[in-house]
Amino acid sequence: MSETSGPLGVAAARALALMSAAGFDQARVSVGEARVDELSIAHNEPSLLRTTETRQVTLVGVVGARMASTEVADTSEAALRECIGALFDDAKAAPEDPAHTVSSGQRAVIVQGPQRPDFDLLAAKAVELLEFRLRETPRMMIDEGEVKHTLRRWHTLTSAGSDIACSVGCYSIGAFGTAREGGRSSSFNYAGGSADDLDERHAAEWFGIGEMLCDTVRQIETSPFAGKFVGDVVLTPPAVATLLGWLLEQLADTALISASSVYRERVGEAIASPLFALHSRFDAPGVAPLSADAFLAPPLEVVRAGRLLTLTPSRYGANRTGLPHVPVASAGWDIPAGQTPLAQLTQDVTRGAIVGRLSMGRPATNGDFSGVIKNSFAVEGGVAGQALSETMIAGNMAQMLHDIVAVSRERIDSGAQRLPWMRIGGLHFS
Amino acid sequence: MTYLEQRRHELRKRRIQMIDGSLTINSQTVDAGASARVFADAYWGFASTPDTDAASLGRIADAALRNAGAMARFGPRTMPALAPGIGRGEHVYRGQPALGQTECVQRLSALGAWSRRTYPELKSVRLLIGDEHHTKRVSTSAGSDVLSSIQRALCYVTFIAEGADGAPVELTQSLSTKGSLADLDFSVETLGPALAELYRHLQAKRVAVPARGGQHRVVLGPELAGMLAHEAMGHPCEADLVLGGAVTRDLVGRRVASELVTMIDYAHTCGGSETLIPVYADDEGTPAQDAVLIDRGILTSFMSSRETAARLGIAATGSARAYAPDDEPLVRMRNTAILPGTHKLQAMIDEVDDGYLLLKTGNGQADSTTEFMFGITLAYEIRKGRVGAAIRDTTLSGSAIKVLQSVDAVSDDMYWNCSGYCGKKQPMVVSMGGPALRVRAHLGGQ
Repeated sequence: MSETSGPLGVAAARALALMSAAGFDQARVSVGEARVDELSIAHNEPSLLRTTETRQVTLVGVVGARMASTEVADTSEAALRECIGALFDDAKAAPEDPAHTVSSGQRAVIVQGPQRPDFDLLAAKAVELLEFRLRETPRMMIDEGEVKHTLRRWHTLTSAGSDIACSVGCYSIGAFGTAREGGRSSSFNYAGGSADDLDERHAAEWFGIGEMLCDTVRQIETSPFAGKFVGDVVLTPPAVATLLGWLLEQLADTALISASSVYRERVGEAIASPLFALHSRFDAPGVAPLSADAFLAPPLEVVRAGRLLTLTPSRYGANRTGLPHVPVASAGWDIPAGQTPLAQLTQDVTRGAIVGRLSMGRPATNGDFSGVIKNSFAVEGGVAGQALSETMIAGNMAQMLHDIVAVSRERIDSGAQRLPWMRIGGLHFS
Repeated sequence: MTYLEQRRHELRKRRIQMIDGSLTINSQTVDAGASARVFADAYWGFASTPDTDAASLGRIADAALRNAGAMARFGPRTMPALAPGIGRGEHVYRGQPALGQTECVQRLSALGAWSRRTYPELKSVRLLIGDEHHTKRVSTSAGSDVLSSIQRALCYVTFIAEGADGAPVELTQSLSTKGSLADLDFSVETLGPALAELYRHLQAKRVAVPARGGQHRVVLGPELAGMLAHEAMGHPCEADLVLGGAVTRDLVGRRVASELVTMIDYAHTCGGSETLIPVYADDEGTPAQDAVLIDRGILTSFMSSRETAARLGIAATGSARAYAPDDEPLVRMRNTAILPGTHKLQAMIDEVDDGYLLLKTGNGQADSTTEFMFGITLAYEIRKGRVGAAIRDTTLSGSAIKVLQSVDAVSDDMYWNCSGYCGKKQPMVVSMGGPALRVRAHLGGQ
């Protein structure tokens, strides 16, 4: 059976035919719909049940090596004809760029995760979360919490023969809030993620939510570090995610095309400590192993024992830069666990901090950054002490990758990312 | 009594990005749909659909009611009646006729070609233009019926050079206005002088020195004061965050800033002119009022929705807004500003013996504790009243209350922009404004 036989596939085929008839040399069409069922918590109480339906037609057209794209919600024949006519004019207005091509020969049917919401499960997990808060961390205020099911279905066709049908469902749970006592508040804190089966464990045991609630209560009383010094940080998984985000941006199109990537010429070289590795997990909950430009994204090893194995340009980025094309999915990354028990990471810090979250401006192009360390604890002589306020660290992202001195055995799996704790030396505290 | 609110919502966006002459984004999108929200027995139900016909509106109103009813499984809940307010009328911005994509691309190409020709030493030139147009029709069972339209346009020019150490260094100039790209003059003739300044600053940044970490006396240029207003005290004065435990809850009527500081979240009009993001009635159909957050240093009020106002026992300010057709309204800022004072910027610099002049920012973050931060992408040392070496990118932070209490000079000029998004579960278009301020705050560095 052809992958185009479902209603979304039929709609995509119809839109592709219209684009061909309009005169496009190449076209990519994606017709999708999503449904979200979400139970929201506000200020420690169940507050809202929302059901949202969205629909989207994404059209990318190339004519005479000139490209334009559009997205609309109206899939009627008349609306599509009007939209494709406007798209053709937009493409003709663009400068010629032979790097624009659409995916070819990609074929897949991907069905992943829970395809229907279980409202009883959503409600049960919300109750578990609220009961845990009341029992274990009564001073915690969950400003916003949600338990939800998302189902995204889409069908992508290209004029070069790609035909990809996807139906990806997942559950998510998250909590965001502060702890408060008297007139004092902690900083905001958050934990959450996505999974295929929320019923596997208690709500507080997912994604470090319980630990986050407990830690936040310990952050009502804070004080700053005295003076300036150079010390170590133990980055928690949310802070490691900031470092990972910078690295991934450096390997991708915009940085590569505009020559602002510090790794453009570094493939094959050591860019990090031998303790650091980075793999894909493009089959993670809520993630489809597909790139945004409709290429299948096979498993990928990006960094092995500190050595950069590949950059990640899209098809367009590869054509523009001459680099090999490496498709990556929208999310799904895994930093392998290390050999060091989590407790040991802290015990080895002479002076520094356990960093819960980095609140900072976008790092400079060269990796320089400084940021406020939020939801963080001071460490002196290997012992975690008071929660910190008004404390900043400064350093360089690229250097931090080299300065990783230990990686924890433990990790937090939030679905889209599975990350360990890391100890990194040489940060400037002020 | 059951409350019903319905919204037909269309969001049109255009984005064009050019990197060194290549068009990497050339996109126009339309997101449209309808939503219904019901408040019944103290629970909310929400539903949305991409279809906007009458039958679909009826279907989602029923779905929203069912969703609110389904919440009864959590037991009875008590909540004060929603704050009142009936908004009616049409508020549509009528700017210049929209530019076609061809003209946008031509103007962008001209700007890019001029930049590369004028500054051949640059490693790369990245340009982004965009506009977005939100059209909403909100009606409520309380009697509101409002058509609102908000448009904003933006242009970012990023120059990338090679630093003295061989690493890339970049700097961005942003420009924004109310309306579409037709209302934004991003021609070479207009932007040329600003880009010459951008290039001059970039050259200084190529040999920048690290900031000295710690507390410093800093002059925040006018581009930064709006960010300070938004992040430092704007978010902690949003009523949902106040209910959530922000420290501002216990500070109404108390001094939180120098008497030189007055801070207002304007609804739609400032100084007799319409603001960049005018909100006459919000997405709950509540007529929008200015929220005076700080009056000569004293914390006075909060921004609120119908529910949060009722829970705090205050009037609703018309601050509940939804970004996309499938979003429910949340308390959001509109046009947040610190009001100008009487000082001159140059004099504010002259009086600093040892400190920094901060000129450009990227992003920022707020906190329930009022400990804010924002990134600094362009700054200089000040030594004995003279502007010295550029410093590398850094971050400014501090307790908003301590920082605002340290304000000892406020300039007499005012800078507004609406180029960014505020992030809080949903993105949101907002504007921010302010004069130059002199404060003590914490800079990240060595």
